[in-house]
Amino acid sequence: MDRNVKESLKEIVGAENFSDSLIDLIAYAKDASEYRHRPDAAVWPVTTDQVSALLKLANQEKFTIVPRGAGTSLAGLAVPERGGLIMDMGRMDKILEINIEDRLVVVQPGVVYADLDKKLSPHGFSFPPDPASGSVCTLGGNVATNAGGIKGAKYGTTKDYVLALEVVLADGSFMRTGSRCMKTSSGYDMTRLFVGSEGTLGVITEITLKINPKPPLLSTAMAMFDDLEDAGRAISQIMHSGILPCALEIVDQQTLKAINQNTPLNLPEVEAILLAETDGYTREETEYQIDKVVEIFQRNRASMIRRADNRQEAETLWTARKTAYGVMARINNNLFVEDLAVPMSKVPEMLRAISDLAKKYNLVIPTVGHAGDGNLHPVISFDGTKPEEVHRVEQASAELFEKVIRLGGTLTGEHGIGLAKARFMGMEHDAKSMEYMRGIKRLFDPNNILNPGKMALEAG
Amino acid sequence: METTYEFAEKFRDQVLRCSSCGFCRAVCPVFGITKRPAFNARGKMLVLKEVMAGNIPLNDELIETLFQCTTCAACANNCPSGVNVPEIIKSVRKDMVHLGTCHPAFVGMNQVLETSPNIYGEPGPPDFERERNRKAQYVFFVGCVGSYREEEATEETLALLDRQQVDFTLIDEACCSGVLEDLGYTIQKNHVQTNLDRILATGCRTVLTGCPYCFRTFNEKPEYADLKKQRIDVVHISQFLSDIDFGVQTDKKVTYHDPCDLGRHAGIYEEPRKTIQKIASNFVELPSNRANALCCGAGGGVRGAYAANSIAMARRRLAEVEAVGADVLLTECNSCVHNLSNAKLRAQKFKIYTTAQFINHLLEEA
Repeated sequence: MDRNVKESLKEIVGAENFSDSLIDLIAYAKDASEYRHRPDAAVWPVTTDQVSALLKLANQEKFTIVPRGAGTSLAGLAVPERGGLIMDMGRMDKILEINIEDRLVVVQPGVVYADLDKKLSPHGFSFPPDPASGSVCTLGGNVATNAGGIKGAKYGTTKDYVLALEVVLADGSFMRTGSRCMKTSSGYDMTRLFVGSEGTLGVITEITLKINPKPPLLSTAMAMFDDLEDAGRAISQIMHSGILPCALEIVDQQTLKAINQNTPLNLPEVEAILLAETDGYTREETEYQIDKVVEIFQRNRASMIRRADNRQEAETLWTARKTAYGVMARINNNLFVEDLAVPMSKVPEMLRAISDLAKKYNLVIPTVGHAGDGNLHPVISFDGTKPEEVHRVEQASAELFEKVIRLGGTLTGEHGIGLAKARFMGMEHDAKSMEYMRGIKRLFDPNNILNPGKMALEAG
Repeated sequence: METTYEFAEKFRDQVLRCSSCGFCRAVCPVFGITKRPAFNARGKMLVLKEVMAGNIPLNDELIETLFQCTTCAACANNCPSGVNVPEIIKSVRKDMVHLGTCHPAFVGMNQVLETSPNIYGEPGPPDFERERNRKAQYVFFVGCVGSYREEEATEETLALLDRQQVDFTLIDEACCSGVLEDLGYTIQKNHVQTNLDRILATGCRTVLTGCPYCFRTFNEKPEYADLKKQRIDVVHISQFLSDIDFGVQTDKKVTYHDPCDLGRHAGIYEEPRKTIQKIASNFVELPSNRANALCCGAGGGVRGAYAANSIAMARRRLAEVEAVGADVLLTECNSCVHNLSNAKLRAQKFKIYTTAQFINHLLEEA
């Protein structure tokens, strides 16, 4: 990036919102994935007009722009693979409107998920997806990745809540999509097109989200299964029983072993633990639901079932699930947190396949997941300084996704494609789909300045 | 080419173990006010990974991030991978100083402590109108901030000890100089010796410290191991007060700021609360408290080196005090009192005291 361009960038955002210091270039070279590439410079725009001027300049000067939220992507969405400019949206962090009457909020993209949650909580409302990185991730990032979380089975993911967007397009022009109405059948759904677009079509500068009333009461139950097939059957029976738990999580045997090796928790190393939570407005309501869930646990030969009488006990039941990431992060230097989803009935088969792959490639792959929506997170921990080990990890990943697709699954439930899964896109999407996706990309971004290299939008 | 640094020898595994999840963004006070990822723990660990790999030298270009850390340990406390960031930062600062690269404010503090017995380079400690260096059961060790910047708080703490008829003495103290270890330098042996000699000369059984940092230095640094050998306990004033019944009450709404050095670093959360709840029935916690408490922004040399950011961090903490509508903010660290008081806006009507100072006020009014 030449000096004149950098000077122009400074003029647009002000010197205090521009940097090409080494420390910033290094910090922006990485997100939470294993990919790494330094940008040439970084900016922190504070107004939509600045975003527009930046894009206009980039389009003229043909440098690339990677919009970035909190950089918690596990798939390399925010890594500037080809250098260029990082556009950190973190300083556009205002909640512009909380409108309980119309059941919506309007926010800037840099608002942190947890900060919105804190503001909505006193009203008894929430934006439900609840991603695991909620304490830090931004709403712009949530929209750009179509983020999900543990409540997906009952409350859906980000896409189910985005009503309208303001987007700055590659040439610096503005587009407003959607409406403030709960319903609309008006025209193509341009809003949905941007949800999950990973910064490849435009830069989101304002988000209108539908918000949900948040049931204040929860009931929690946990069950252990000596046989994975029993757990799988229980999941499937719960999900067609008419009861919709707000969380139904699974923790596999490898995870339990990893937890026991790294903590004093001393959990039984059964083949699977299921954890269910039901929500509602009265105790009767939540207990009625959890009773049904427990019945199904019993019917499917759960070796141990525990119910929480209060929140403190519930926290204890959640320990295994909530400890998992920390434990996995400590096993080795590097980790791939995978993010596949399969039809719910295929969860046990998928878990078996993961376990077989781990044996075949001599890897440790503990798996946790949102069983209620078939979204599993096998976590491959490895030592990135050993090329041979890295190679085995890559082979195992490729085979993993072949299996996922064979089972009718998807490459990603909630983390996005980014760099990590770009090479598998053709496995899931047929040639026509890829052709049209690439066509859409060219239509919006003819000079390919917006987050290039992601989602396999160039090949073919 | 890999380059060897002492920090890498000690902490290589920990630095590599940072999985870049970015969860430290939620709690880092420096990131909180700057929104600049290069400043939070993930950014620092990414920089150090490049240093360890030999891709970049450990030079002046890195000062702004590696020296801009209050060592508050909020990141370490929330790190899923268990990376002890403050210890790594302290260690890498030593490598940098060794290579001749350091923030000028830190260079200055080290120079001052080479000749002066306190961090401000001021002439000898004030005597607080008391006979010093006498034989007594307790030594009250004031610390630099309490001696030279927050004298009022200290006077009232001493008055409170008098009221309780505690047999204590002050000594001609020198800076504990533990702070130098955080800034990349080493503890001043002559100051250590001065303190040890004068403490031992009093024949005391217990050292009471007004400063949580001195408390940690005496308890943790091997240079002060003689205290333990001589069976002298080092107790922070908050621990000492928690067993006393003062027989006064306030109806004011009182809240409490956990100093990082007392809380996250020393695990002392309950004693101050025990004391406060005895004197204030209308006690309210700050939104972030105990292990999750926001740092006041003064630690790790940041107040001296990055004053504007230090004040901005303090203002964030004060906004929490305002949010709970407290009349009085108590804390147990003179350095926190100092920074928070400097940052307080005129419109913010609440008062800031150390707990001991506030109790003495109440007793005076009673």
